[in-house]
Amino acid sequence: MSTARLDEVRAAFLADLEKAGSDAEAVEKVRVSYAGKKSGVLNELAAGLRELPSEEKRAYGQALNELKTLIKTELGNVRVETHRATVTAGIRAVDVTLPGTPVARGAQHPVHIVRRRIEEIFLRMGYDVEAGPEVEDDWHNFEALNIPPDHPARDDQDTFYLPQGYLLRTHTSPVQARVMESRKPPIRIVVPGRVYRRDSDLRHSPMFHQIEGLLVDEGITVGHLKATLETFLHALFSDDVEVRLRPGYFPFTEPSAEVDISCIFCDQKGCGVCSGSGWIEILGSGMVDPRVFEAVGVDSDRYTGFAFGLGLDRIAMLVYGIPDLRQLFAGDQRLTRQFA
Amino acid sequence: MIFDSDWLTGYLDGTPDLDTLAKRLTDCGCLVELREKGDGAEKWDVEVTTNRPDAMNHRGLAREAAVAVGGQLRPLDFELSECDEDATELATIEIADPALCSRYVARVIRGVSVGPSPGWMQRRLLNCGVRPVNVVVDATNYVLLELGQPLHAFDLDLVRGRRIIVRPAKAGEKLTTLDGEKRELDSSMLMIADGEGVVALAGIMGGADSEINDDTTDVLLESAHFDALSVRRTARRLGMHTEASHRFERGTDPEMTATACDRAAALIAELGGGRVCRGRIDVYPRRWEPQQMEFSVAALSAFVGLEITPERVVEILEGLEFFPELEGDQIQVNVPPYRVDIDRLPDLYEEVIRHVGYDAVPSQLPVLPTTPGHRNPNWELIDRARDAAVAAGLNEVMTWSFIDPETDELVGSQSLCPGEPLALDNPLAATQGVMRRSLLPGLLSAAQTNLNQGERTLGFFEQGRVFDLDDAGPHEHERLGIVLLDESGDAETRFLRLKGVIECVCEKIGLPALEWKRGGEPWFAEETGAILETSDGTPVGMAGLVSRDIAARWDLGPDVLIAELDIDTATEPALPRYEALARFPSVVMDMTVEHEEGLNYAKLESATRDLAGEWVEDLSYVTRFPLPDESGRVRTTQRLVYRHPDRSLTQEEVNTEHSNLREGLAERLGVTFA
Repeated sequence: MSTARLDEVRAAFLADLEKAGSDAEAVEKVRVSYAGKKSGVLNELAAGLRELPSEEKRAYGQALNELKTLIKTELGNVRVETHRATVTAGIRAVDVTLPGTPVARGAQHPVHIVRRRIEEIFLRMGYDVEAGPEVEDDWHNFEALNIPPDHPARDDQDTFYLPQGYLLRTHTSPVQARVMESRKPPIRIVVPGRVYRRDSDLRHSPMFHQIEGLLVDEGITVGHLKATLETFLHALFSDDVEVRLRPGYFPFTEPSAEVDISCIFCDQKGCGVCSGSGWIEILGSGMVDPRVFEAVGVDSDRYTGFAFGLGLDRIAMLVYGIPDLRQLFAGDQRLTRQFA
Repeated sequence: MIFDSDWLTGYLDGTPDLDTLAKRLTDCGCLVELREKGDGAEKWDVEVTTNRPDAMNHRGLAREAAVAVGGQLRPLDFELSECDEDATELATIEIADPALCSRYVARVIRGVSVGPSPGWMQRRLLNCGVRPVNVVVDATNYVLLELGQPLHAFDLDLVRGRRIIVRPAKAGEKLTTLDGEKRELDSSMLMIADGEGVVALAGIMGGADSEINDDTTDVLLESAHFDALSVRRTARRLGMHTEASHRFERGTDPEMTATACDRAAALIAELGGGRVCRGRIDVYPRRWEPQQMEFSVAALSAFVGLEITPERVVEILEGLEFFPELEGDQIQVNVPPYRVDIDRLPDLYEEVIRHVGYDAVPSQLPVLPTTPGHRNPNWELIDRARDAAVAAGLNEVMTWSFIDPETDELVGSQSLCPGEPLALDNPLAATQGVMRRSLLPGLLSAAQTNLNQGERTLGFFEQGRVFDLDDAGPHEHERLGIVLLDESGDAETRFLRLKGVIECVCEKIGLPALEWKRGGEPWFAEETGAILETSDGTPVGMAGLVSRDIAARWDLGPDVLIAELDIDTATEPALPRYEALARFPSVVMDMTVEHEEGLNYAKLESATRDLAGEWVEDLSYVTRFPLPDESGRVRTTQRLVYRHPDRSLTQEEVNTEHSNLREGLAERLGVTFA
């Protein structure tokens, strides 16, 4: 035995291992013939150590140990690889570009999405969100709001009437009256809700949704109204939007103002949405008429206030580009699914 | 209202270009909505608000325009020459009800030849959308558009007895109006009568019998002031709306009647070749009383939030002809007779603000206590329901609050709607005649719409109110309705899918534990529907597969699942309380019970819970299947989780517990074990 023999074994081992490739059985045979506990070549080589003269033992032993380590390491590496090949045999690679499995996603109606966005803006400004009945009496819907019987303004709000003197509210304003009847100023509220008018064409639906705001305190001014509406409309649309107040008329506010925003679609160059005017009419507003305060028992000498209202359906149509009001009430799940 | 731009600017000194004029008018509250090319002038569609009848004529709008552009309003300039014949000798006027007619002015023009009016007048009328008729009628229409005073011309020869009497109609009186309609009158309506009968509807329309015609030579011209409410009520009762009634309803100027009468008479004489008889016949039983108001400029400035100088206020109010007088900080004004809208200080403030412009008002957010905003509990509730349904994967839809009364009868036959339907007095269509007592009809129509659109599966909900009526009055209830369609699985599987959604939603909304009982006809077939009740037996919901009849009625397949929940009784769910996490392992045991089909799961589960020892931490349903033989028996598998809080349980301990439970169940329910 000599270290030359060790070199021969080393070369033979590497050749055999190479030949075995990733065939697990062949690799196992290689392992048994070289490192097997009973008849492995390494045993034979180890036995050869005893036969050597003592001066050669040291060098031979060292070389033998190196050979052992090499054989074990190489076998280990190859066996890990062959194992991996066995495990993944028969598994196809994943097409990671396939679409993910859909998760059931629900969505709110766009009108409610818009409503909650607007509520949120006013809640942050300290306003309460109030509610009231859709079936109203004439007092709260009209008379308390300075619209006596036979007032021409009733023409603009064609009303559905119900038995026993009830009617379907034509606006959310009756809730203003109800809140002022039951609570002392300062009052700041917004009132969203469903309203009804006896009117049906491309631009009018007999059922629609509004949100109404009211703020009453001592010393409230037209400037307060203007700043509040600007703050709100900037939060709802964007800070770049220009807000314009024009004198208008509502029976329950004096003075009144129609409020426009600069067209968000054409940068005021003129487009279909703004009918070429560069402005979009967005809400109605004004200072609460003292007659309203008197009707609901608020001291009109001491308090002033402002009110405003806007159509939620119209805002939703504007914000999302929905062309037809009636699509909102058709019950078509394809509409809502777009908002999931 | 349509205005002729040339006519309008004719009253103005120092007129800027039309663009500036249109913008300034819009800024002061007279929105110029549309400008079109007309004959010799632009046609302007100006939105004059209902409270401003004084600006619904060219001179009135010009007054606004003069203040808006800082120009001057030219005086109304015309010449009236009268002949010697005394008008008061030719006709008499009597007002029987001065409350409804405060003034009646008339003039007589004789020797008129009724031909067409001149081109300039016709052009202006046509630009304003008024069809020329003849010189007399055109002159009255012209003055209406010019001064806002409605006029009426009678053929004096056809006024019997040459008498005009303003009085309420007698029941049963009839009049054929100028439009050819025969109208039956009642005692609430104000009339113009002659010596023998009715000749005109006061403030609305004249009668055909005394109409100006080709043979007319003598004209009696009426310029009156009628009570707004009376005209409005009569016009509404007769279903009429005319240029005259539109203005009288909103309020006209009693002082303008004389001027307008003079103006029209002068035009008729000038253009129709007649002579105006001397003097007006002017009956004025209730004189207009001037109203004075006084206010402080400082108070105005404080209200606006802008320092406005007294000089500017005076300038504006002078332009609007309020004749302001400034003394120190106080301004006293006289409200002009045509300003029917000015009654209180804010009305007056508005006049100043309109012309100062909202642009000039500095924006200043109000300062209030920094309390947080609260949402009304009703909104909290319904948005909780909305969120729960969305979290369950459903899409929200909205359907109409009013439904077909025939459909409503179906609704009446089930128990969620205790009251009577609330019927509309004046629905738009018979099929939208009653307020819904249930969301289901609307949702079924929506299901049909979606399927017609080619949708294969349905998963949507509606949150909204239903309405009913009882002795205490109308009631509104918040509801949640659900529609599901997914064709996989048998009826029970699909029903349980709906039930799973409802259970999840109920928990999130905060509804109490509900008992599910078979029922819900006619919406559901007997085998596949359920009524949901609270522990005291109040029905608060129903759910199931639509019945064959309902499916046929809405043209649906039989696989559609629907549900409706009354959510009014929900209360906000309590905050979750932390429970200590288990430290020792559990032992899970399945238990398959064989029993009669009639034993429902609720009974089995409640008995199992009752008999299970203290170590049973959780009990759940796994599956159920019928035995393949003819025995009619079924097997139900439940899963039990055993756990001890303080130590590990041995399998032997669990086995003992489990077999005790089995014996207990066998004894109590007569079930066997597979």
